[in-house]
Amino acid sequence: MILHLVWRNLMAHKLRSFLTFGAIVLAVFLICFLRAAVRTLQGGVEAASSQRLMVQSAVSLFQNLPLGYETKMRGVEGVERICKWQWFGGIYRDRSNFFAQFGIDAGTFRESYRDVDIVEGSYDDFQATKNACIIGKGLAASYGWRVGDDVPLIGTIFPKQDGSEWRFLVKGIYDSRTAVIDDNTLFFHFDMLKDAIDAGTANGPQGVGVYMLEVAPTAAPEGVMAAVDALFENGPQRVQTTTEAEFNRQFVTMLGGVPTLLGAVGIAVVFAIFFAALNTMLMAARERTRSNGILKAMGFSDDFVFRAMLFESLFLALAGGLVGIGLVKLIEEPVAQSIGRAIGGFRVEPSTMGFGVLLALVIGIAAGIVPALLARRLRPVEALRSAA
Amino acid sequence: MTEVLIDLEGVCRSYERGNETLRVLDHLDLQMERATFYSLMGPSGSGKTTLLNLIGGLDQADAGKLVVAGEDLSQLSKSELARWRADNVGFVFQGFNLLPVLTAIENVEMPLLLTPLSKARRREQAAFALELVGLGDRMKHRPRELSGGQEQRVAIARAIASDPTLILADEPTGDLDRASADQVLALLQRLNQELQKTILMVTHDPVAAEHASAIVHLDKGRLGSIEETARGRSLREASVT
Repeated sequence: MILHLVWRNLMAHKLRSFLTFGAIVLAVFLICFLRAAVRTLQGGVEAASSQRLMVQSAVSLFQNLPLGYETKMRGVEGVERICKWQWFGGIYRDRSNFFAQFGIDAGTFRESYRDVDIVEGSYDDFQATKNACIIGKGLAASYGWRVGDDVPLIGTIFPKQDGSEWRFLVKGIYDSRTAVIDDNTLFFHFDMLKDAIDAGTANGPQGVGVYMLEVAPTAAPEGVMAAVDALFENGPQRVQTTTEAEFNRQFVTMLGGVPTLLGAVGIAVVFAIFFAALNTMLMAARERTRSNGILKAMGFSDDFVFRAMLFESLFLALAGGLVGIGLVKLIEEPVAQSIGRAIGGFRVEPSTMGFGVLLALVIGIAAGIVPALLARRLRPVEALRSAA
Repeated sequence: MTEVLIDLEGVCRSYERGNETLRVLDHLDLQMERATFYSLMGPSGSGKTTLLNLIGGLDQADAGKLVVAGEDLSQLSKSELARWRADNVGFVFQGFNLLPVLTAIENVEMPLLLTPLSKARRREQAAFALELVGLGDRMKHRPRELSGGQEQRVAIARAIASDPTLILADEPTGDLDRASADQVLALLQRLNQELQKTILMVTHDPVAAEHASAIVHLDKGRLGSIEETARGRSLREASVT
């Protein structure tokens, strides 16, 4: 009956209840969306492995390192595996079709990134075929590419001498279980790139963009980092060795204060909605003075009246929150599809949905507690007198 | 031998109005019998509604002893008073005071939520109360869809739904036309006569007051007089013969 009464009270002012409900839907939707976006941006940082180190030029990320560094770094104690990473920056048909492509060492990549599963095709086929590539399942879904397809890319950093396209044969489609590798990337053989430059059939910078060093489980990453940095202290090109998390964080930092801004916008929205909900509940409590007085005169306890008022606020907030979460979940896939090639891995995680529910609860309680306490404290004689 | 249901001894109640203390009830001594219909009259400010609120457990006296239905109300906590009200008192107000968002039968069912009755039994009892006040065909109507007289009859049905000992009515006919007022007063008489309810009705209307068995006159917070009405006399004579 208490829920029935709460429902009837809400329905007594349909427009007001609907507007408040709508405001909460919007708030929870926005907060969950922003949180999912921020977590997407920071996903690579959080999922990073402490056993993987990234070696880049101390001057700039865009300055390649000499190929010969690989051999020297193999001699550093604690280095177990090395994988070269080279940003390719090719264009598929049109500049708007942006997605990441990297030349990697196929031999070590699989061992170093064990969270990457081949779901179609075969990694061995990829490894055995020089002009092959593997693509993320998101990329495959976006362009309808399948194993056996040829992916033509126009080189911008590494243009072909004759102006033709690079062609990569899809030998595998992967699914990544970690945000470090997203599902919208194309990986091909670094050696294919190197050989083309060496042969003069393609132009572009020599060397390697970044070296990934996998540290042995028994070795201390800090020691390896210091040793590698010290190794090239006197050139020919100084390096900067960081953890994978730190390396990934610099890309988030490149976005400037975007995550902070998103967070600030979210907090502002929550406060605005909280005041709207509080206003609604205070209005409801004032209108309900007489009804609450009647209930108390009939013998209903102060706690019953308190609960009825609080339930009203909670019901409105929770219903709004759940719809807001539902909406975010509904647009999750389209958003992931549309921004996924630029910022991979947009996901509304269960923790974000939980956060949305918690937020709705907090709004509901915060907006309802004062009116509920006022209703609880109300003396029936005064309530009935004011009504008269 | 008649039984005393309401017993007041030296009851005082004051209110603070700005810097002034207003004594509304001043050492009031009064006894009222069970199954009797009383009218409570007096000039404005004589303490009628305050007395009604004290007897109904909506308010508590500053001093004195107030025993209603065997319970010393001054000894009860707020929550105990609420429970006591639910068990013993039905209220009828001048402004009807129905919950506007509920239908007539839902309004009548409300006090039954405080009883251990099942949902079906509650519905049945609420329907019976509405039938009793002649509104069996208005059960699904909201208060705004009813006339003033009908609203007050729903309020009376609500007051008797949980079968309380005492019905307290504060100007129940104050907002009604004569015909509706007569219907309500006749209904209160029936509840007193047929269901043996003790009724205490505050009124300014001498015609309404005559529907009771006795009229209690208050004056400046003290008992003025208790006067037997024609109805009271005839009931007493009938009971003697």
